[in-house]
Amino acid sequence: MALRIGLKPALPLIPLLPGLSLLGVLGVLLRDGHGGGLSVLQQFAAGAVQPSIDPIVLGSLLNGLQITLVIAVMSWGISSVLGVGLGLLSSSTFWEILADVRWPAVILRRWLAPLRAVHELVWGLLLLQVFGLNGWVAICAIAIPYTVLMARVIADQVDCHVSPAIPVLKGAGATPWAVMLTGLVPPLAEPISDHIGHRLDCALRSALILGVFGLGGLGTDLSLSLRSLQFQELWSGLWLLAIAMVVLDRLLRTLRSWSRMLILLVAMAGPWVALGWGTQLDLQLAWPVAEWSMVVGNLIDGSQGINAALEISWPGVIGATVWITLIAGCVATGLPPLLLLVWPSQASLRLQGVMWGALRLIPAPLTALLLLMLAKPSLALAGLALGLHHGGVMGRVLIDDLRSRGLRSAQTMKTCGATNRVSWLYGPLADVSRAYLTYATYRLDVILRDTAIIGMVGGAGLGWQLMEALSSFHWWLVLWIVLISAVLTLLGESLGERLQGSWNSRAMAL
Amino acid sequence: MTALLELHQACLGQRLQPITLTLRADQRVVLLGASGAGKTTLLKLCNGALSPDAGSVHWCGRTHQQLSRRQRRQIGTLWQDLRLVEELSVIQNINSGALGRHGLLWAIRNLLGPLDPNTCLELMHQVKLEADLLEQPVRELSGGQRQRVALGRLLHQRPELVLADEPLSALDPSLAEDVLNTLLLLPGCLISLHRPDLIHRFDRVLGLRGGALVIDAAPDTIHRDQLEWLYASA
Repeated sequence: MALRIGLKPALPLIPLLPGLSLLGVLGVLLRDGHGGGLSVLQQFAAGAVQPSIDPIVLGSLLNGLQITLVIAVMSWGISSVLGVGLGLLSSSTFWEILADVRWPAVILRRWLAPLRAVHELVWGLLLLQVFGLNGWVAICAIAIPYTVLMARVIADQVDCHVSPAIPVLKGAGATPWAVMLTGLVPPLAEPISDHIGHRLDCALRSALILGVFGLGGLGTDLSLSLRSLQFQELWSGLWLLAIAMVVLDRLLRTLRSWSRMLILLVAMAGPWVALGWGTQLDLQLAWPVAEWSMVVGNLIDGSQGINAALEISWPGVIGATVWITLIAGCVATGLPPLLLLVWPSQASLRLQGVMWGALRLIPAPLTALLLLMLAKPSLALAGLALGLHHGGVMGRVLIDDLRSRGLRSAQTMKTCGATNRVSWLYGPLADVSRAYLTYATYRLDVILRDTAIIGMVGGAGLGWQLMEALSSFHWWLVLWIVLISAVLTLLGESLGERLQGSWNSRAMAL
Repeated sequence: MTALLELHQACLGQRLQPITLTLRADQRVVLLGASGAGKTTLLKLCNGALSPDAGSVHWCGRTHQQLSRRQRRQIGTLWQDLRLVEELSVIQNINSGALGRHGLLWAIRNLLGPLDPNTCLELMHQVKLEADLLEQPVRELSGGQRQRVALGRLLHQRPELVLADEPLSALDPSLAEDVLNTLLLLPGCLISLHRPDLIHRFDRVLGLRGGALVIDAAPDTIHRDQLEWLYASA
């Protein structure tokens, strides 16, 4: 009797399927494409090999880079220290050891969630309205969501790494603090210090984004250079940024090789050093005075709130945001494994490492502006810009994972006579597929939050509406948009967690 | 009978001293030696996973680098660590043995929904795997079941020579007997074992000690003292 089995994609195939969305995106780009920006794009490419070496430009860029670094290091250090503390307090394990209860952790997690759901750029723009242009605005804008995000990751890690020794230690009569020090801290030291190290890279990119939107530093310089089509200056800035990122990466790797705990010490000392450094720069670090009157004055009239809520066609705006997220998520997830399947080799790994580095380096809004030189604005274009930037992150994750697991499985398939491409598909790509998909679901949360940035550039979604509302000081509308964004992000997180559960492992949310 | 695999003064660092060896089709060869004697290294040289530092390894007169896909799939390996694709089901893993006969589209089709279940069921029957495991993910199987999936994959490859690295370790006696019987039914094999008591089931015995080939003889000419010396500490 013939046996028939239905179609059900196996796990190693799933990371490749989102790549099919590229066909649709390319179709839209071909439809909306215009040759107008081709020569400008050529100038942009030429700028990469001929960056400006004008001492005045370099001096200004170096100053901007230092400001960005100071903002990044301060926000990273503050969020790491506070995040570790809040993470412990919001973990069930901590409270179970301390008082045999779980409810304080549940309550704290729910309280913290909305803070994390608002993108750092939105925090920046909101704080800017209240406190004016000040270094602390950028630092707090990054530190607030990062602290809460770090707390979530730490809490998840604490609850995932419950040592079987804990009940034994408790049974032996050890004090709760002794139980934590002996049973909780040792297994957590490695993943937590790795995560803290990784967040510095993220903080640097966030500081850059805030700069692109006018909060100072290298991002502002890059944005101005791009808008005035000064590509040589733009590339000088990008190369400086690339050097800074490589140096920071090497520094962290070296610290990690000495002792993982050193990273935590550096995170604690970093803000103090950066504060001293920042006072030498063109960066206002005196504590700002809040100007609430304008915001509060606008919010006093409650009747305006209902009118504001009706001003926007929410289904359309939310739909655009979700659509951008899906396109970006598909591009970011599908592109790296697809490229490896097209050209599977060690040389390809090296070349793609450089390519993903370049995509991470260029902030998403700048990628969007560059793409606008080739095609008319559209949701697909916004999604592609965001997807390419996050593809840089996903590509790095994929390559790191492949390198750490090794390529032995490809060799196994090759000895059976399989082609090189099939050997990679059934070998290394299959090996990493579960971890990759788990990470991709986490990345989808980040992309959803980042649609705020692209919306502001691309004229679509909640980000665009927020920019409009802020420009017109329409505080009720700002409040509604932030609220809806937060709800959407939390829903996305919940969906992501369900997907992670279906991949049968929890993400180490990097 | 023509020579399938020829090693001429093939050596690899400290792990394997120069070895000259010819394996013919329809020959059943057992490879003995203590742990660390170089058995796995020799098998990896034979299947091309490792290249010799000096000397040569030829399959049907060609080096491994010169082999076509069709020739590469003539050598089948049963790895000690099995090397199954953990994320796939039993049927998809067994089908992966046929990847040497097909291209990328077939490979993708196998991932979309397993192909040729009837052939796989026959192979599963041959290696004594229960049919209801067909769509079970291999990572959920026991050690013995995984071993038989690997054997099913090997059978689906249809090799002319099988290289098996300690295929009976970690198997209960009854299962070990089944696996050995299946391997000995294949056209030709080189099997590394820690079971000197089984040498009479083979046509030829190779013995490795300290990376050197010290025994190459028919089983009935080997004395018990030689086997004891093979496993004695240096």
